[in-house]
Amino acid sequence: MNNQSSWRYTTLGILLTALAVFIVVQMLRIQLSPQAGALRDKGELYSGAWRTLTPARGQIYDRWGNLLAGSRTVYEVGVILGEVENPSTIALAMNAVVDADYDAVFAAASTEPSAEAIYATLARFVTEEQKQRLEQLSVEMKTAYGDRRDPSRPSLAGITFDPRLQRSYPEKDLASNILGFVNWEGQGFFGVEEKFNDELAGSPKRVWVPFDPNRVEEFPQVPEGTSLILTIDRVIQAEVEQIVENAIKESGSESATIVVMDPKTGDILAAATSPRLDLNEFWRYGEIFEDSTPFNRVVSETYEPGSVYKVLTMAAAIDGGAVKPKTSFLDTGSIEVGGTIIRNWNGGAWGPQDMLGCMQHSLNVCLAWVATELGANKFYQYMQDFGVGHLTGVDMAGESSGRLKLPGDEDWYEADLGTNAFGQGVAVTPIQMVMAVSALANEGQMVFPRIVLSMINGGRQYNTSPRISGTPISPKTAQRLTDMLATSLEVESSVALVEGYRVAGKTGTAEIPTPFGYTSNQTNASFVGWGPLDDPRFLVYVWLEKPTTSPWGSVVAAPVFRQVVERLVVLMNIPTDQMKEQLLTGQ
Amino acid sequence: MYRVQNITQAYSQAPWRKQLQWIGLFMLALIIVAMVAGIYLSVSAQASTAGREIQIMYAEMEEIRRNIEDMESQIAYLVSNSEMEKRAEELGFLPVESDEIFYILVPGYIKSGQANLAEPPGSTLPVIPTISPEYTQSLMDWLSERVFDPASPLVQEVEP
Repeated sequence: MNNQSSWRYTTLGILLTALAVFIVVQMLRIQLSPQAGALRDKGELYSGAWRTLTPARGQIYDRWGNLLAGSRTVYEVGVILGEVENPSTIALAMNAVVDADYDAVFAAASTEPSAEAIYATLARFVTEEQKQRLEQLSVEMKTAYGDRRDPSRPSLAGITFDPRLQRSYPEKDLASNILGFVNWEGQGFFGVEEKFNDELAGSPKRVWVPFDPNRVEEFPQVPEGTSLILTIDRVIQAEVEQIVENAIKESGSESATIVVMDPKTGDILAAATSPRLDLNEFWRYGEIFEDSTPFNRVVSETYEPGSVYKVLTMAAAIDGGAVKPKTSFLDTGSIEVGGTIIRNWNGGAWGPQDMLGCMQHSLNVCLAWVATELGANKFYQYMQDFGVGHLTGVDMAGESSGRLKLPGDEDWYEADLGTNAFGQGVAVTPIQMVMAVSALANEGQMVFPRIVLSMINGGRQYNTSPRISGTPISPKTAQRLTDMLATSLEVESSVALVEGYRVAGKTGTAEIPTPFGYTSNQTNASFVGWGPLDDPRFLVYVWLEKPTTSPWGSVVAAPVFRQVVERLVVLMNIPTDQMKEQLLTGQ
Repeated sequence: MYRVQNITQAYSQAPWRKQLQWIGLFMLALIIVAMVAGIYLSVSAQASTAGREIQIMYAEMEEIRRNIEDMESQIAYLVSNSEMEKRAEELGFLPVESDEIFYILVPGYIKSGQANLAEPPGSTLPVIPTISPEYTQSLMDWLSERVFDPASPLVQEVEP
């Protein structure tokens, strides 16, 4: 090695050492600089991604385990803007396969990619079949036109599919008013879906998922959402919904509502109303429920019940000792209460009547007199005990409390005692009426209506228990009134009667108030009844809003009650009274 | 003795021998480093493969869960009330009327009032980790386990 070579090697050695020292110094400088923390954080950010582990939403079943609400895979179709080659082809394909708007898709897919614009959503709720069709088209285009990057070549390059579970309702619009729906973001609206949204949705967990497979960690266990078993019987619900549809057609009503409840347990076996929505197409909500149409009239809409309310007035009066079934009353056709003249539904005088006659002929004058005999304080105390003006607490979202004006309230007048006695000037929901009348059908004990029978969480099933809300009247009063109402139906040969079964019930026809008083010809027609009387298994409430063929509850609502009961006795396996006796006596 | 001293002196003094000594030492160090690097790479590659497999399995689990939900919904559609009614009609069944039903009394029979969809209490297994320790244990952990608890099995079984 000569001196010249030695010099060269020494210089190279110095340079390399200096470079190494520079690198080390630079590393130390960066490590110790004030920005070091931020740089480390940024590095960490690129080493993985936060991911939300969303548990599957709990399912909803009817009382026999039939699935009412589950989940299914749908896809969000989007494009990675930097990879899009031909927005026109994408728009055309989306329009043909998923019926997406061509212009909207074209505009979204044509967006210039930038730091802010990386991805664009093209369509949601895309089914597996549609996704497969799009994928097939993509492959066919590649085969036909090659896969070189060329803007003039038809291509679906850039299109992506993001799978996710979306609520699915196999029964479509069955019990839709009870269930409610879940939107794209997973939020429950109306009914049980809203009321139990947190329980059904479960608790999502956010986890850091490193891209480095060496740092992979076990995902935490995310428990599934709570599943619910409802008290609804889907067959009864379907039958009752069909009866609702027919009733609307036959009576020309604006809407119809029917509630079927087990008066001993409070189990709501069916709650049908109109309109209904195919929950798989929840985005049509605005189109179907126009203006302020309530989603579920059973719990949300209040109205003046009319004469069905008389069962509560008479029950209170008999229980309070103001009258007895045989107490006589001379109906002169009018009575003055608090300065207001109250007349009967036909404006006539019905002469001497006992309480059975008053109920049978639905005499407003008699019931107003009964309420005055009972006294305002007692009357309103009884009405409050029946739950009028209070929420029932039924597990469906959007319940209204109704309104019962009380003595002492600014807008209460003495005349209200007379009108309230026959269901005027008081606002109730159908579910409130059902709960109140359950006291008559259940030996004086009023039950809370319930819609959730069981909850399933963590692999365990927790059953709910029937709850007694109170005992507003004695068992003796309940029995007396039941007999009175059954007899009154039988005496007048009501169309509500069901062959082979003894039932009790009462019709109702309420004028609908306007801002100028009761000036409209429109009515709310209703019927409440229960049976079989020796062992009540069902309580049925029928409400037809603004019927046009006839305004009277006895004409339009009573036959609907009979139709419901005729199906109920079959579906609930209830033998006729005579057959039951034969079975029990063995003859 | 003299002979030994001579050989030692000659050996140590020979420059090529000295060089060979250094080369040997360097090669030895290189081989050790290469072996350690090789073992590290092998273990690291295995861990990466296992990690990747875990990631794939998680993705598969998610897909299977979605498939289960899909299947349940599909079954529910097939046995939905309207579908069953349609099939019954096609088969010639008619809705029964109350006077067409014949009831018999079955002593002791109590009809269940609702569905039982969850397994009975007490039969659920406790939640335990599903990843085998081989995938999470470090070499030092494994060595200390072997030293302090040599009776423990080499491969630990875990419940799925």
